[in-house]
Amino acid sequence: MSAASSSPTSAPAAAAPASKPAAAAPRGGARGRGGARQATVVLLGIVALVGGIAASMTLGAVHVPLADVWDSLTGQAEEGPLKKIILDLRLPRTVDAIVVGAALGVAGALLQGALGNPLASPDVIGVTAGAGFGAVLILLVFPSSIALLPLGALLFGSIAAVIVFGIAWTGANAGSIGRLILAGIAVQAMFGALTTSIMVAFSDRVQSAVFWLAGGLTSEGWAEMEVAWPYFLVGAIVAAVLIRPLDRLALGDEVAESLGARPRMIRLGAAVAAALLASAAAALAGLLTFLGLVVPHVVRLAGGSHSHRFVVPTSAIFGAALLLLGDTLARVAFAPIELPVGPFMVILGVPLFLWLLRRAV
Amino acid sequence: MSGPLLQATGVQVQIGEARILHHADLTVSRGELVAVVGPNGAGKSTLARAVAGMQKLAGGEVRWDGEELKKLRGRRLALLRAFVPQRPRVPEGIDVRQAVEIGRSPHIKPLARPTSKDRAAVERSLERAGATELAERRLHTLSGGELQRVQVAVALAQEAPALIADEPTAHLDLGASATLAKLLRSLADEGLAVVLVVHDLALAAAIADRVVVVSDGRTVADGPAEDVLDRRTLRDVWHVEAGLEADHHGHTALRVDWLGAPRHELATKETLT
Repeated sequence: MSAASSSPTSAPAAAAPASKPAAAAPRGGARGRGGARQATVVLLGIVALVGGIAASMTLGAVHVPLADVWDSLTGQAEEGPLKKIILDLRLPRTVDAIVVGAALGVAGALLQGALGNPLASPDVIGVTAGAGFGAVLILLVFPSSIALLPLGALLFGSIAAVIVFGIAWTGANAGSIGRLILAGIAVQAMFGALTTSIMVAFSDRVQSAVFWLAGGLTSEGWAEMEVAWPYFLVGAIVAAVLIRPLDRLALGDEVAESLGARPRMIRLGAAVAAALLASAAAALAGLLTFLGLVVPHVVRLAGGSHSHRFVVPTSAIFGAALLLLGDTLARVAFAPIELPVGPFMVILGVPLFLWLLRRAV
Repeated sequence: MSGPLLQATGVQVQIGEARILHHADLTVSRGELVAVVGPNGAGKSTLARAVAGMQKLAGGEVRWDGEELKKLRGRRLALLRAFVPQRPRVPEGIDVRQAVEIGRSPHIKPLARPTSKDRAAVERSLERAGATELAERRLHTLSGGELQRVQVAVALAQEAPALIADEPTAHLDLGASATLAKLLRSLADEGLAVVLVVHDLALAAAIADRVVVVSDGRTVADGPAEDVLDRRTLRDVWHVEAGLEADHHGHTALRVDWLGAPRHELATKETLT
């Protein structure tokens, strides 16, 4: 097509700018600057993540020097309580924090991108409230089956998502963003009310649910991760596949369709992946909703790019780093009292986020 | 390769209970600019979306390059036609070049990175649409006319042989409309098949090889503007007394009896003065 000759007699064709020798020149400058800025942000995230891992493994009720941590991990340390602390308590907790933080960051990035709405987070599709209900149900009504807690959170988080998607993706105007968000808020209200009802009915046992609802990691080994890992895996794979299709939604559904994409399917896929990641995260760490909302915004503001190729993986790194650092700080700040990381991170994070917001938007 | 690039016959579209298109025909060949005109709500945009494969057909047949639309999906369809929407979404945080790079995506294989060929195509599209100077600007800082040129650049990056534009001049001032009209005409002269949905009959008459009139979900006329947009059609379809004046050098005007005064009164006044 571009090779088609433009006849010299066609007057309108001559109206186009005759030559632009510098057309390719400005690329390097602008793109290079943007790319460098994003690379810096990614690098900062990785440094924070590595620092967070080191802090999470060494700090706590017992301070373990980094060298000893390394020896325990590589099997060079002799058997003993120190090795036990590292391998059975700190390692699972650190891994949980990385996975949960990354999952929440990615879930928020997927939903904000897919719905084109900066307020979107796993709350909006009802997943958080569903998972909360599932967990409280087990904690208060079936306290003897506490091992089922992650399963309960996963199950009801998924049920909430299925109800919301069922309503939003059927009938005329299926896949409308407005309908999805309204259905999500309604389902969220319903599960919230159910949770409150159980808490009123079993008010003598509420104590045990408070820590979970506040959101926080525990040092209980690998049991929860053994239940939740397939959800994380599938969610992560779907997220990776959707990165490029999500970028095609940026100019609206009609342009996306022009490019051969199917906006509704992309949105459904992103919402399903976010639901899997968020309910699995809730199963491990309770309700840490703030992370999913804020991390993608911080990443976009810091990197100056809305491309999902940048935002999704970087949100994973930042989410993991933030939760690791927050969790370590919550453990250490008022030791031996352990603060729940959820409220702690919100209290520390909101002023930072507001400051960033004022500067950037 | 012989025959029209797009051939749509008897197209019907139903949205919910409402039948939007009853029977519409549309053909366009390479190097041809076809204007689709008609009153508000007649079904022009629906016809454009239907032939682009963006609206489910309730009946009729659409063929692109001889191939049935039903069998064309995703990337294959994207390499046959590009669609320029009436009101594109204008996201924050995206500059013009990034937007045009999105238009290139059908050429990039899954999990692959854009090649130097893709980057060259993006630059070519920017230049062709007169948007090279805008390349570093953020989308939400552009004027309406600039934004539509960028939309055309996004579509050109697709490098499809056909371009379908849905009322791209609807919200533009006179100068921006003229710039866009010139651009679309020159693209057709270079071999692109262009379908332009447009309200402005004078503009349509000036740049289109053929004009297709849509009225109440049916295509009621198809041909050169001077044949199709006669007084009777303007009266029957738009319910207005008007006449199109055109020469063959792209000068057109629509003389409209805006206030609907009976013609003889107008004539009387003219004879009096």
